[in-house]
Amino acid sequence: MHPQALCAALEVIINKALSMNLAQPTLPSSLEQKTLTISLNELGFPLCFTCNDNKLLVTSQKNLALDDNHCQIKTSFATLQELKKEQQLTKLIKEDKLDIDGNIKIAQQYAAIAENIEVDWQSELEQHIGDVATYKLSQVLKVIGEKLNFAKQQIQADASEWLVHEKRLVVTHSQLRLFYQAVDDVADDVDALTTRIDALIQASNSNQS
Amino acid sequence: MSAQDQNQPETTQESTTHFGYKTVQADDKASMVAGVFHSVAQQYDVMNDLMSLGIHRLWKRFTIDASGVRPGNKVLDLAGGTGDLTAKFSQLVGSQGKVILADINSSMLNVGRDKLRDRGLVQNIEYVQANAEYLPFEENTFDVVTIAFGLRNVTDKDKALRSIYSVLKPGGRLLVLEFSKPEHEILNKAYDFYSFNILPKMGELVAKDGESYQYLAESIRMHPDQETLKSMMENAGFEQASYKNLTGGIVALHKGYKF
Repeated sequence: MHPQALCAALEVIINKALSMNLAQPTLPSSLEQKTLTISLNELGFPLCFTCNDNKLLVTSQKNLALDDNHCQIKTSFATLQELKKEQQLTKLIKEDKLDIDGNIKIAQQYAAIAENIEVDWQSELEQHIGDVATYKLSQVLKVIGEKLNFAKQQIQADASEWLVHEKRLVVTHSQLRLFYQAVDDVADDVDALTTRIDALIQASNSNQS
Repeated sequence: MSAQDQNQPETTQESTTHFGYKTVQADDKASMVAGVFHSVAQQYDVMNDLMSLGIHRLWKRFTIDASGVRPGNKVLDLAGGTGDLTAKFSQLVGSQGKVILADINSSMLNVGRDKLRDRGLVQNIEYVQANAEYLPFEENTFDVVTIAFGLRNVTDKDKALRSIYSVLKPGGRLLVLEFSKPEHEILNKAYDFYSFNILPKMGELVAKDGESYQYLAESIRMHPDQETLKSMMENAGFEQASYKNLTGGIVALHKGYKF
């Protein structure tokens, strides 16, 4: 029953976020009773989002009929992140990383809602814990965010150092450039040698005749 | 019309049935069950959350996910009690669809109606006090019929299943969510201990009615196990009958189709 637990949690979180959304306080009426099903390879079960009476219902119904009121997307977490770049869409479909069935306009409208969610978290939070605590908490979160970002960069740099210089598992750009240069030089030498051999063969043939 | 009035005399040869571990006259069971639910109706939701630690909400979500319900469908939530399934179905079938919340017990129906109205769910829900054995609907009416934690309280389950079959449309499906037999012996023993020692005390403390929760525990043990209920559904005419155990078989969701 993990799918149902996830759906219940998502439903609460999404509807709370939608109720606090400054950019678009109501869901578009054109999405009423329209369903978007997202099947992520990693999850193994579908997530169905349906608009009803300005609320979003999250279920995990399988084998829902595809019609004008339903759009189904099969993809993976990684591909979902790539989808942010619009120009990637055709490429991802061609590479079989993304499968879209049904009314694509529904998916576009749901994506627009997700992109336009704008919540003033600090104002919401201060109603519950007070403005001083909210300020302190936001400062702490900011510091944690910065530290995490620094740690991430540091780990990337250390990993790169270890792979490139200590274990020599990965080649550097300059090594790759030198390799390509050497390949080009060899190709030039082979071309010159071919020309020279052709010339010698031609000279030998003319001497015989 | 009271719950007792609805309990028409059975035409079966057996005149007795079980009420928990007690053997009672079949004609008396409905009124005895009604007494239990009149008593617990007001505290029903709180007790459900307490007894199952909130897991009953996931069982019900699982039922909805398995129903394949679509906008415009007509759904019968039988023994719907306080309307948990009805609320979700109402949102999923939308304004073009309809959900009938039916229960034999007027107290449960009143609590359910008040709860759903307080949540603003009014436009596509109807309330019917009905006995599952004699459903007051035309044949081939519903796309989906659900009965969650209600079948074990029905006096003649076979008759109820046949009645449900007749009101389903061809292609419609029945979903029975009900307590069942745990798959593992250790879980079974732990569950027995919980049911007979802790549950009645909880009932006494919260709903001021330990006896009703003693009946709950006994009625669960007397309810047919997974395979038996599946056979009963097949005998009533349901095709592709199957079941899925939830939480180790403490609860099972049976599903069958009418074609």
